[in-house]
Amino acid sequence: MAAGWLWRRLCQGSAFPVSYASRIMQKQYLLPSSNLMGARLAGSHGDTQEPKTNPLVSISDEPETLYKRLSILVKGHDKAVLDSYEYFAVLAAKELGISIEKVDKPPKTIERFTVLKSVHIYKKHRVQYEMRTHYMCLELKYLTGSTAAVYLEYVQRNLPEGVAMEVKKTKIEKIPEHIQKPVWDTLPQVEETEIKS
Amino acid sequence: MVTAPRLPELQESLDKALRDAQGSVRRRGRAPQFVRTAAPPRTERMAVDQDWSSVYPTAAAFKAASVPLPIRMGYPVKRGVPPPKEGNLELIKIPNFLHLTPPAIKKHCAALKDFCTEWPSALDSDEKCEQHFPIEIETVDYVSSGTSIRNPKARVVTLRIKLSNLNLDDHAKKKLIKLVGERYCRETDVLTITTDRCPLRRQNYDYGMHLLTVLYHESWKTEKWESEKTEEDMEEYIWENSRSQKNALDTLLRIKASENVRNVTKEELLASEVVKNYRNSVTALKNEGETESNMSQYKESVKKLLNIQA
Repeated sequence: MAAGWLWRRLCQGSAFPVSYASRIMQKQYLLPSSNLMGARLAGSHGDTQEPKTNPLVSISDEPETLYKRLSILVKGHDKAVLDSYEYFAVLAAKELGISIEKVDKPPKTIERFTVLKSVHIYKKHRVQYEMRTHYMCLELKYLTGSTAAVYLEYVQRNLPEGVAMEVKKTKIEKIPEHIQKPVWDTLPQVEETEIKS
Repeated sequence: MVTAPRLPELQESLDKALRDAQGSVRRRGRAPQFVRTAAPPRTERMAVDQDWSSVYPTAAAFKAASVPLPIRMGYPVKRGVPPPKEGNLELIKIPNFLHLTPPAIKKHCAALKDFCTEWPSALDSDEKCEQHFPIEIETVDYVSSGTSIRNPKARVVTLRIKLSNLNLDDHAKKKLIKLVGERYCRETDVLTITTDRCPLRRQNYDYGMHLLTVLYHESWKTEKWESEKTEEDMEEYIWENSRSQKNALDTLLRIKASENVRNVTKEELLASEVVKNYRNSVTALKNEGETESNMSQYKESVKKLLNIQA
């Protein structure tokens, strides 16, 4: 897999290239609670308390996106491969401190079709093929944008061959300023006579 | 090529030597000095407490000589066991997770932890998220192997918002619900806008926000033709100025006239308890539907209104 060089560098101790991820500092939260202030400051505190800060971590000013739920559906033809992948994804989520809502295993779907066995005539002799698709759904709760980016990249780089993934992200946002109040209150009064029928 | 004429003794010894060589070749099948002996597999030199993540640092095919496990895979021979791992194609074909053992995963996550940020601890429940961040935007990413990494379904964006979080008054809310039609769910009070008309996800998101803005501002406007709203257009039943009110008042006036009581005005009748009870029960029946409690409430109110002691 193309991830070879990346993980070899990881094992040698040097971590990821700068373009891969940057830790984004959360700002612009209008929450009045003190817990948030504590969390924001704790982040910066942690960096200064540790003697060595990771040189590849860069903190940017843009506000952190918040994901209420991340739903990962993995599809494959082999159940054993999906089971191993589930173990890996769950352990990775636990290690990175992401709360797992549930791990669901929807039933498999079998797509069957019948074709003629011979190239020419022999209509009575057919052959049937089937494709079995096994599913595994992993639902994660309450992730920030950078955590989601890190987790998804890790999990997607280690996706086995022949396995597909769909990630459904639910982002939560504030109501933008232009929808807070109706705009007609602020507009100057327009004369009715100006409108021509 | 011209060969020199040989002496008969030399010819004989040459022939004998050739025959011996050929005979030995035929007997053993191959000259032994050209056969390479295979080196012993690496598994024999592996310590039990070695660092496995250096043997399989990345995803790699299964190498029987590098994996010190007695694995057998495949359909077993008749009255036998599945084939061993040496040269086993089934083991090479299937994707293996030898590079993702739990210690390796822990090592990776320890290095990745620096890039993660914490979720704000003040938003620990769905209700608080809803209160501070009412808009939910749903997008889907697709990962699969194929000739192309693009998936046209990835551009769909779904915007969900509860109308109770928007700054709307009564008229604006009713107008908005009429404007959006099927996209509003009455039970959960959620407006869902799904956009996929633009080719890119960012464009669809911008279009969705634009739609929401336009809907919001348009619903606050009152057009001239909105005054022509008829009773069929009303979303909920209003008792004032309805047939039920007219009929009840008429009936009560006639009862009072037949009893020869002094002329009672409509306002006094409307303000009386029995009429108010009747009004509440009829409104509940029409808006909420027919339930046991609603029907019994209606029965009681009609009995009080018409003074029937049945």
